[in-house]
Amino acid sequence: MSEDEPHTNYVKIWAILVVLLAVSVAGPELEIWWLTLVTAFGIALVKAYVVATKFMHIDHAPKFVTYLMVTCLVFMMLFMAGSASDVFKSSGDNWYKIESDWQYMPPVAQHDEGAHAEEAGNH
Amino acid sequence: MAESIPTQPSDPHADDHHHEEQSFVSKYLLSTDHKVIGMQYMFTGMAMALIGGFMAYAFRMQLAFPGVEVPLWGVVTPANYTALVTNHGAIMIFWVAMPVLIAAFGNYLIPLMVGCDDMVFPKINRLSYQIFLLSAIVLISSYFVDGGGFGGAWTTYPPLSAKAEYNLTPMGASIFIGAVGLEFVAFLLGGINFITTAMNARAPGMKLYDIPMVIWMIVIASILFMVSVGPLLAGAIMLLFDQQLGTAFYDPNRGGDPVLWQHLFWFFGHPEVYVVLLPAIGITAEIITVFSRKKLFAYRTVLNTAIGTGVLSFCVWAHHQFISGIDPRMAHVFTLTTLLISIPIAEMMFVYIATLYGGAIRLATPMLWALAFIFEFLIGGVTGIFLGASGADIYLHDTYFVLAHFHYTFFPIAIIGTFAGVTYWFPKMFGKMMSDRLGKIHFWGTIIPFNFIFIPLFFLGAGGQHRRIYDFQNFPALAGEGMQDLRILATTSLLVMLGFQLVFFYNFITSLMKGKAAGKNPWKANTLEWTAESPPPHGNWKELPTVYRGPYEYSVPGREKDYWPQDEPN
Repeated sequence: MSEDEPHTNYVKIWAILVVLLAVSVAGPELEIWWLTLVTAFGIALVKAYVVATKFMHIDHAPKFVTYLMVTCLVFMMLFMAGSASDVFKSSGDNWYKIESDWQYMPPVAQHDEGAHAEEAGNH
Repeated sequence: MAESIPTQPSDPHADDHHHEEQSFVSKYLLSTDHKVIGMQYMFTGMAMALIGGFMAYAFRMQLAFPGVEVPLWGVVTPANYTALVTNHGAIMIFWVAMPVLIAAFGNYLIPLMVGCDDMVFPKINRLSYQIFLLSAIVLISSYFVDGGGFGGAWTTYPPLSAKAEYNLTPMGASIFIGAVGLEFVAFLLGGINFITTAMNARAPGMKLYDIPMVIWMIVIASILFMVSVGPLLAGAIMLLFDQQLGTAFYDPNRGGDPVLWQHLFWFFGHPEVYVVLLPAIGITAEIITVFSRKKLFAYRTVLNTAIGTGVLSFCVWAHHQFISGIDPRMAHVFTLTTLLISIPIAEMMFVYIATLYGGAIRLATPMLWALAFIFEFLIGGVTGIFLGASGADIYLHDTYFVLAHFHYTFFPIAIIGTFAGVTYWFPKMFGKMMSDRLGKIHFWGTIIPFNFIFIPLFFLGAGGQHRRIYDFQNFPALAGEGMQDLRILATTSLLVMLGFQLVFFYNFITSLMKGKAAGKNPWKANTLEWTAESPPPHGNWKELPTVYRGPYEYSVPGREKDYWPQDEPN
């Protein structure tokens, strides 16, 4: 950052982030699926953008730093694209993950260990 | 390309360096001189190669003669066997191929070939080596803790690697991950230096297309490493948490997913192949142009192809996972990308053959190694096409066919590439010539047994011999006379090959002590390192050179000499 540019007001940015955090915690509590999507993921994107531009000074950095960040995102999406169909799945031809059914997730201890091992074996 | 990037008129740190006499400690132990750090990497890498080679000897003896008392080791127990195989793989890739090909040659060559007096960040450079040395010590120490060295394969797949009750090495498994993590940190620090120095500290007049190919390759390899290592480091920390803190990132019994590790590992692991391959390809380019007195055929094609290979190398990783339960639709995608990546590599091979065509070829030792690299690597590449096709891979996966395939890629890279580089730059590094006769004996004594080790393994693999089996006598289908004979042939050839390495060490030491003085430019090469004294002093040149042309102007018509150094005005 060059000398003559005004310094970012870090406290103000931090306060904005805290407010956004509160929204992203409160939104999903209402259990409306589209609101959850917007408040959880939409706000996460906004927060990431604010952190990158203000705290990491991307808006003042040379252009290539932005390109590097974008490259990282591209690589992340590439990785997601290649692995999502495996690691995001909660069931297959002969198996499913009991724990992936998050709404009814029981405490781990209540499960019979033997049954778990069998599930894993099928996986 | 960004030819508009200005080159430095002179080294920005010229004033910081005081090129005066130094004490032994500051010269050799705490040095920030790129040449000393390069040597430190090279000798550490060679020492680790001896350890990795010894491990191969111990477990190959067990395979050929099950239960025999192996000289210098004793009886190889099943736990010994898995630990030896695991550490052999990890050492040869992370502690031999990477330190020698990228760090040793990168450190030694980049400032000398781009014409500056040292790395841009000399202290980071020193820190890089110190962390690397620490990582090697940490890895070896894992053999002496409770439970012994980790034996869950260099790929550290969970759940085996994640749970002490499965792998039986509660300490060894975590130390293994810690050592690999440290090694990655060392190479990140080194990579920053390589890229920055090659891009910002070039001699006046050296445009991007005047950079010698080996430097480009090391720079591209460093970028590939930096971009790919993040996911694996994150994944390794998660694995460490699974081992030590009882988390369940990879534990299927508690909602975790072991396949996730495989994705994270190979997203790094496959680009890693190209991280070590590219420098070896670069070394070969330097040698074949000098020893055939020809211009490199299609410099820009090689460069663009290398960049293309780098990008494509990020799109092939799941071909290691065809039978691990991944989505079958993705297998089609990764088969396609894997077969595609053979095209740029084949293109480079054709370019090299075209470079040799019509040249005044001189078969000195470095040239023999360079030609062997092309020849042997081709076998590795072609057998990779079988494995890249998911249909064939279902049968061949995890057999010795795979093992023979990647040894036909990694051996040319790590061993042949290294010997090519060492024999070529030895006169510059030490100011003495190596014996060509001993060099050739060592060459043939390495190459012939190498093929006798691994060609039998292709047949064994195609015959169904699985990897990571302690004793094949327990499997009637694999215990037959014919198969055991092939195992004995492979092991005997390994012993012969290891024996011939003594010739190299003898040649190395006697040449150091009483070799013929090399002079500045014994091979009559063009690149800048040959304009410095042999060995170059601290600071490399009294006056930093200026560059007037590309690095491969050999046999230019109308010139008296058949070479045209980069720093000669006319």
